[in-house]
Amino acid sequence: MGDLLYNITDWMRGTFLLDWAFWMQETGFSLFMVENFWNVPIAQAIHILSIAAAFGATLMLVLRINGRAGAGLSMEQVSARFVPWIRWGLLVIIISGMTMIFAEPVRNMINAVFWIKMIVLVLMVLVSLKYVGSVRAKALNSGAAWQASGSAKSTGWFIIILWCLIMVCGRWIAYVPV
Amino acid sequence: MMYPEPTNIWESIEYSSLGISIAESTWAFPTLETLHVIGLVTVLGTIFVMDLRLIGKASTNSSVTRMTKDTLPWTWAAFVLAAITGTLLFISKASSYMINPYFLVKMSLMAIAGLNMLYFHFVTYKNVAVWDNASVMPAGAKFAGYTSLFFWIVIVFCGRAIGFTLGIYY
Repeated sequence: MGDLLYNITDWMRGTFLLDWAFWMQETGFSLFMVENFWNVPIAQAIHILSIAAAFGATLMLVLRINGRAGAGLSMEQVSARFVPWIRWGLLVIIISGMTMIFAEPVRNMINAVFWIKMIVLVLMVLVSLKYVGSVRAKALNSGAAWQASGSAKSTGWFIIILWCLIMVCGRWIAYVPV
Repeated sequence: MMYPEPTNIWESIEYSSLGISIAESTWAFPTLETLHVIGLVTVLGTIFVMDLRLIGKASTNSSVTRMTKDTLPWTWAAFVLAAITGTLLFISKASSYMINPYFLVKMSLMAIAGLNMLYFHFVTYKNVAVWDNASVMPAGAKFAGYTSLFFWIVIVFCGRAIGFTLGIYY
């Protein structure tokens, strides 16, 4: 596994990604991120807090769909409460994440685990958008007696697993051999 | 590899066979950190949901007791995961952590956040029936919610600061 990831990273060194990383490193914003000792830890703390907000909201939504939380509330009420937190949370995750990429462009752009993380992130967002839309539509059509199907219940847990996988990659960006 | 003779309890912990195996392993520390992150974002995420209900800013269509039932089992389960993995991380570098001010502040704030929660559950919560469905929360519940939000945000900052300052104090 380590060898495979290293080979992918090594291949990336020969692509345009390296030029991009070097360009990012020369920007004033990149300099700003590294010249103050506290900028990166603060960006990481904001990153973690927004993950907590969006992941916690996703968990509550999935629990409602699985009948394990939000008893007595309709899917519309639960979505109105938690979907904005997932959206805004994701926005803050992406902005704080980008500041961290600019702080260490080469470590991130030339890193197989970083790109696996990005692919899983995009997959998670696309699956979540389609999933929440279709579950809400079904719940609206069925009225108060609505019960999620077995596949809707398990897709919810699949999204939680994707979130966890993204976090696994996030931590291992720092440890994978580059 | 030879390790020096421990001169205090923290070094004894660090140079224990468990501490050495975690510190010498290439995968143990990052794996524990990963599980720690998954645990702590679940703790924080569910605490935020509860705190926002307590300050009356969100979920006012749910009763406070309902919110507690929905979130607390997850908060506790994830806290156990974060505490176990956190302890194992600590064991592998005990003396470096014990000299790090951010680690000491983080542990103190977690103790205070715990006391805040105990006070809320055993004192403020006693007459929850009166304000269970209210959208405007009593001062005690609001206080518990706002202080909890504040403490946990600072705890996350300290947690990240530890990673950047471990080893610079001695």
